[in-house]
Amino acid sequence: MPLAANMTSVPVVIDEEKCIAHKGCTVCVDVCPLDVLAIDMLKGKAFMKYDECWYCMPCETDCPTDAVTVSIPYLLR
Amino acid sequence: MSNPFSESGGLRARLADPDAEVRRVAVLDLPYGDEEDYIALLTVALADKSAAVRAEAAHALEGVEEQEVVAALVPMLKDSDEAVRQAVADTLAELKEPRWGALLLGMAEDSEPGVQAAALRALRALKVDAAFEPAMHATASADAAVRREAVGVLAYLRKPAALPTLTRIATQDTEADVRKVAVGALGYADVDEVIPALEAALKDSAWLVREEAAHTLGKNKRISAAGKLTEAMQDEYWQVRVASARALGKMRAVQALTVLIDALGHTVSNLRKEAAIALGELGDARALPALEVAANDADPDVRKLSRIALGRIATAQGA
Amino acid sequence: MNTIEHEVDVLVVGGGTAGPMAAVKAKERNPQLKVMLLEKANVKRSGAISMGMDGLNNAVVPGHATPEQYVKEITTANDGVVNQATVYAYAKNSYRTIEELDRWGVKFEKDETGDYAMRKVHHIGTYVLPMPEGHHMKKVLYRQLKQKRVEVTNRVIATRVLLDENGAAAGVMGFDCRSGDFVVIRAKAVILCCGAAGRLGLPTSGYLFGTYENPTNAGDGYAMAYHAGAELANLECYQINPLIKDYNGPSCAYVTGPFGGYTANNKGERFIECDYWSGQMMMEFYNELQSGNGPVFLKMNHLAEETIATIEHILHTNERPSRGRFHEGRGTDYREKMVEMHISEIGFCSGHSASGVWINERGETSVKGLYSAGDMAAVPHNYMLGAFTYGWFCGENAADYIAETYPDSAKPVIDQAQIDAEFARVGAPLLRTDGLPPSQVEYKLRRLVNDYLQPPKVTRKMEIGLDRIAQVRADMEQMCASNPHELMRCMEVYHIADCAEMAARASLFRKESRWGLYHYRVDYPQRNDAEWFVHCHLRKSAEGEMEHIKRPIEPYVVELDDHEKTAYDRLRVVRQPVAA
Repeated sequence: MPLAANMTSVPVVIDEEKCIAHKGCTVCVDVCPLDVLAIDMLKGKAFMKYDECWYCMPCETDCPTDAVTVSIPYLLR
Repeated sequence: MSNPFSESGGLRARLADPDAEVRRVAVLDLPYGDEEDYIALLTVALADKSAAVRAEAAHALEGVEEQEVVAALVPMLKDSDEAVRQAVADTLAELKEPRWGALLLGMAEDSEPGVQAAALRALRALKVDAAFEPAMHATASADAAVRREAVGVLAYLRKPAALPTLTRIATQDTEADVRKVAVGALGYADVDEVIPALEAALKDSAWLVREEAAHTLGKNKRISAAGKLTEAMQDEYWQVRVASARALGKMRAVQALTVLIDALGHTVSNLRKEAAIALGELGDARALPALEVAANDADPDVRKLSRIALGRIATAQGA
Repeated sequence: MNTIEHEVDVLVVGGGTAGPMAAVKAKERNPQLKVMLLEKANVKRSGAISMGMDGLNNAVVPGHATPEQYVKEITTANDGVVNQATVYAYAKNSYRTIEELDRWGVKFEKDETGDYAMRKVHHIGTYVLPMPEGHHMKKVLYRQLKQKRVEVTNRVIATRVLLDENGAAAGVMGFDCRSGDFVVIRAKAVILCCGAAGRLGLPTSGYLFGTYENPTNAGDGYAMAYHAGAELANLECYQINPLIKDYNGPSCAYVTGPFGGYTANNKGERFIECDYWSGQMMMEFYNELQSGNGPVFLKMNHLAEETIATIEHILHTNERPSRGRFHEGRGTDYREKMVEMHISEIGFCSGHSASGVWINERGETSVKGLYSAGDMAAVPHNYMLGAFTYGWFCGENAADYIAETYPDSAKPVIDQAQIDAEFARVGAPLLRTDGLPPSQVEYKLRRLVNDYLQPPKVTRKMEIGLDRIAQVRADMEQMCASNPHELMRCMEVYHIADCAEMAARASLFRKESRWGLYHYRVDYPQRNDAEWFVHCHLRKSAEGEMEHIKRPIEPYVVELDDHEKTAYDRLRVVRQPVAA
């Protein structure tokens, strides 16, 4: 399938300084009901892979290092 | 989804990792993993040298009512780390089984107010008689948090012997928050002797205490309090008037007829609603003309409740 | 695609609210049973209550309300079209459920002496029990699953119910949305707890996942039950809810009501006549929005500072905590500004209205061995507590059913052909290298739902809607997925299309108006009890088409006198709805 490259603003932002995915943490990825977060295997950090967010917050609330920030998707804001 | 970082070594190896953050993440995963002995593993983690790991383990043990766990947690109310102490206090507060009373009682008389308050908080839901004396002593504490938790223990135990102490706190404690809890606590007392304290609380300087007093009088339903509740219908806070109107309705205080009818004309519709309900409960035909007017109020809730009240009065009169 | 096979006794699909309860109760009933809880997300934080719940609005607590009173209220709120036995079964067990959850560690508000702090919001009974610290729900449920040794399988999407040679439920098929493996789980009883059909209409923001319901709940359960041959009831009684505009989450009137907050028009005045959450209430809401008195707001700016602080704590830490962040972005402070509200996109949800898979008071669907509970099961206005209560019934009854039906080591016999067919269907999008992305197909489908299926319902529009949905169905055969995550979205599009078609067909079948806005048919504006005081069921015919059946209303177990029957009519606003 063709891929068109578009810029997008993602609602879930990870502070890579704080993220401890490289230490085995997958909490935010585990708790996302829509499975939109993933771990970047090269960096060892979490990131938002799919812009399919319900802004429901478990990823932010459950993050042990306060590395996750959920903002309201731009279209709703 | 595979994570190469978490799959190297397995959970047990991660729990023993030299890196405290790796251990902490392993503790987070434990309750959701396949380990049969996760409770034992979490209990071990309570003794970790890293405070972050200890706190995480204490959180993860919430709701676990097992001897080894509770016995390990209670002394940790004196942990060197504030976050650990908080996590332990929160987890202990979730205990339900009375058998933990014995383990907690010692801490309920601790000289450290934070420890004492946490122990009392945990004891409340257990409702053990042995907590009565320590709680009574704790009501004299200089620390407001301790007094607050002590009142909580006494309120759940519902013993008549605590009433003089509770009425004193309800009217005299320096902290509004503590007075409010004590006023609410008096809701278990089905006796006349608490009424003066509740009446006094209707004049408290804090409106939340006054509101709670009106609410509690509504629960106790002593008609002797109707006079003071009628006065409270002039409170500067409409919220207090709402609670008073509700209490007057519940006790069917016919002497409040006039103030309740007046309240039907108040600018705040929440109060007009409550007055209409109360007048229905009174069942007195003298309210009919005012309720007929209120049945055409601008507010649909007031209209509806007035109609219901009119129906109730008609039924009461017919009966 | 590899195929992974499992075999269990009881298979619960959906680990949100009803599902964990069903699994725990099945296991308690018979600890020897192998019970699996299958979840498309992760049970840790899945379903409608992933962030907990801010309060109960249908708690039937002794001393505050009676089961009989509750049944009467639900009956009138549903214009009489109710299987009272199901509502009564909930009401009689409501308090038992609360006490069990309390024992498990769920935090309900209590007064200083330890009594439940019930609040009066409705005019007849008292059903509201706040949960200011209700954000721990999932943690508490998980603990029970672990203690009872329920096997939890996350990230597997169920797509079809497996049937045995007699047409009884015998497991499910699906796939793993991480590995892409095809999964076949054989079971002796299946309990569907898949939540609402929350991705039916498109939110006005245009953001596909900005739905009222948790968008993970895409109607999977409705579609699976339909294809298994189960009857679905009163689907035309849509779910439409009042909510915070654009944010699209509950505001929530049940939380703020006991504190003195209320829904107001642009004059800051109350306008809702209707007592109970119902289509009638939504009609009043809709009319006000359309009239010169709109928009509609949640008004709290008359409350005291201390009260607002308490409300903020509840609303911004429970159920939909990002509410606070949304208001902050808009500069809305409850102290100063009213919160603009709107009505949601349409969906199916029996938890809030009455549209669901038909079940009886034992949680049984019309298919043997297939049970259902929660938002997707047709017990009107069941909400969270009803989900737990029916999850409980389903778990116990499924365990008993297995004992009766499969003595010794008997097992259901399954024809391999249905497994092969589903393998081919599910795998197809992964095999295509060009075509349509699921997000575009979904957007179009849901946009059509808004254009043609939303009330006011117009016959001609519904017919066009059905034609257009059929065209999209053809497009669906060109959907591509480059990974298992996208495959999940593709399969959800199938579920959404099934639900959309069911919504349109069910709406066309009932030729009257009922339930206020939920089923306001412009061409048949009046309620017609002579012909339509019935349940309308929908099921898959032998030919594989959607067919309709009228079912008589079951005899009432709690009689309503004439005064009660007309209580709502007397409160009704006479104003006609604004025409489409």
